Amino acid sequence: MRIDETHRKWFIGSLVGLAVAVVVYVPYSRSSPQGAGGGTTMGLIYGSVAFAFMIFAGLLGARKKVPIWRLGRAQAWMRGHLWLGFVSFPLIVLHSGFHFGVGLTKALMWLFAVVFVSGIVGAVLQHFMPRITTQRIPLETIYEQIGRVRLQLMEEAISLVDEAYALLHGDVSQANEQQRAASASAGTMGGLTVASGMQVDEEASAELKQFFQGEIQPFLAQSGSHGHVLADRNRAQAMFRQLRTLLPPNLHSTVDDLENICEEKREIDQQARYHRVLHGWLLVHIPASYALLILGAVHAVMALRY
Amino acid sequence: MLRRIRTTKKLAKRMDLQYFTQPHPFRSWRLWLSVLVPVVAVVWFAALRAHGQKVYSSGPLSKSHAVFAKRCDVCHVTTLGFFRAKVSDSACLKCHDAPAHQIDRVAFTPACGSCHLEHKGSLRLASTADSSCTQCHADLHTRTGSPQYVREISDFDNEHPEFAVLRPGGKDPGQVKLNHYAHLRPNLPGPDGPVQMDCQDCHRLTGMEGNWPYAAQTMPPLKPVTAGASADMRPSRSRDYMSPILYATQCAGCHVKDLQFDKRFEQSAPHDKPEVVQAFLLQKYSEYFASHPGALSEPVAPERILPGKFKLPLPVPHNRQEWMDQQVMLADRLLFDKGCKLCHVMIETNAPLPTVAPSSIPARWLLHADFSHNSHRLLTCVACHNRTPESRETADILLPGVASCRSCHQERGPKQDAASGNCSECHSYHDWKREQPIKGKYLIPQLQAAR
Repeated sequence: MRIDETHRKWFIGSLVGLAVAVVVYVPYSRSSPQGAGGGTTMGLIYGSVAFAFMIFAGLLGARKKVPIWRLGRAQAWMRGHLWLGFVSFPLIVLHSGFHFGVGLTKALMWLFAVVFVSGIVGAVLQHFMPRITTQRIPLETIYEQIGRVRLQLMEEAISLVDEAYALLHGDVSQANEQQRAASASAGTMGGLTVASGMQVDEEASAELKQFFQGEIQPFLAQSGSHGHVLADRNRAQAMFRQLRTLLPPNLHSTVDDLENICEEKREIDQQARYHRVLHGWLLVHIPASYALLILGAVHAVMALRY
Repeated sequence: MLRRIRTTKKLAKRMDLQYFTQPHPFRSWRLWLSVLVPVVAVVWFAALRAHGQKVYSSGPLSKSHAVFAKRCDVCHVTTLGFFRAKVSDSACLKCHDAPAHQIDRVAFTPACGSCHLEHKGSLRLASTADSSCTQCHADLHTRTGSPQYVREISDFDNEHPEFAVLRPGGKDPGQVKLNHYAHLRPNLPGPDGPVQMDCQDCHRLTGMEGNWPYAAQTMPPLKPVTAGASADMRPSRSRDYMSPILYATQCAGCHVKDLQFDKRFEQSAPHDKPEVVQAFLLQKYSEYFASHPGALSEPVAPERILPGKFKLPLPVPHNRQEWMDQQVMLADRLLFDKGCKLCHVMIETNAPLPTVAPSSIPARWLLHADFSHNSHRLLTCVACHNRTPESRETADILLPGVASCRSCHQERGPKQDAASGNCSECHSYHDWKREQPIKGKYLIPQLQAAR
């Protein structure tokens, strides 16, 4: 969620609430003979308010599970989750009197620190990453469909290469109009002798086969492309440029399409990486939050009872 | 020329519209972690609870109980594997014999834990909240009907009554005549010349008497008088009280001359009961007669004759017995009618010797409260006993009133930059006179070991 001017009220409200809590804390801490602590009246107030905020923040998950609930807009819940969750950690620190305690309370403080930091990281990522993703990945697709799209790209590439084989081996019936037109020309391109007409060029066919099977197919088949030569746009462009020189002009459009497919594959790989960054923190934040809520409830019961 | 043209329609056709119903590694991870991490947390909590007691977040114990902070079971009973929050009185009474308060009068006796709140930090556990007292004393009812104390006391600042001895009808039970004004005048005749007396010349905390400046030059063997000697004193608070006033330590240096009974003897009469004095006189005159053959013809010194007591001239003694009777009679009258009466109330009866009224100087004035002079040692004596320098009458009660206490002590205490005005600051709930010894039950490792 982008933190824009629509958050202003929440932001100001949170800061004011936090400032009040800190201002109240100073005289409370000084006047407490034993110092500030969770067991004092003020400590219990801080703890109760913070725990209420934590529960509200935790209810965001339930709210998302049932989007048809008419309990306020999802964006409002998200803002509440963000800002009340943000304020709850300092309140808990005030509740504890800046002590981590021992045993359960120590674990709770560390757990909350993990939830808080992961939440801050997540909020920052959610603010910046979507725009970056949109700018850098024009062919963005649904993350869960990336595997399916990759398979489709593979099928498309195989189809293109099969067409090219057919052309190189004289099967004109599979050639399209552009390939037929290109087949009329022959001679020299850029100082290199290129295949002409519909002649069978075994060497070109071998080069195409080698390039496709050796580079393109593994690249497309691989989920993610770390370390692959085609994952680098510049190197990929150079390789495709070289491939064009080895193939007759009537197949250059096929090479362009293959290069375009690889480009799209690079983009969805990048999208997958961005997605893992953009949502990976949730793998820490959500489980830790559940654990925090459960142990927090246990702590509240234990502390109030004893 | 690029032939791949991606239209929205083409892109849309790529998608499986039911994709969100199918499992996905990211969502699966999130789900499993969301289950696993809380389960691990709960298991960790259970293990922590099984191997220790740090899961209770019970708050710090008081100073006196902190040593067994890891042994909840010393006070708390276990039920279904969990400690019960409420501590029974029997758990407290295992180590504390705390005699109940006015057991034959009070309408109810609260549980120990309702007044002594534990797990509130290193506070003094005996320092109970005022509400523990005012729950009864704000509107006191007893089983026997009308209470003998003030019925309504809900706070110290406004409703605490004046001390009983300072209320109308209250009187000083002391029977020793003392004029504080006279004793604090400058240039009093001291044992070695003029002196300016100070409060501490006669009034000191028990246990720190040191050298009394006006003690007898030759101290007779004193009965050991220490804190706790009086029934009013609590031995545990020995330095709270003033040392008792004794002739030998506080008076004799100056007043020894008031016990001189005859110029022929350097030694004064003992400061003791009339019978002892009488025996002393008989012994002295007997010795004198034996060593002075011309004693029968010696005249009676005029200073031994109290005006209006005898018709002059005294009969001339003819033998030892008549001489002894006359000398002892004169000494008795000089002592019992003058010397002793300077300070004591002499009670005349039909007996041959008078009786000295008990001095009855109170060791404690506030019998229902504890006051520590030691805690107030930074103050001058007259800061509280402000009427003392001008007091000329023995009957003057120089005990400061509750208003004097209120000048420093207030209900909210430190919150108002004042000394505490809590009930427990002065009053003790338990009747400690009835305290019984306790037989200990633990070894040190037993208290310190975690369960």
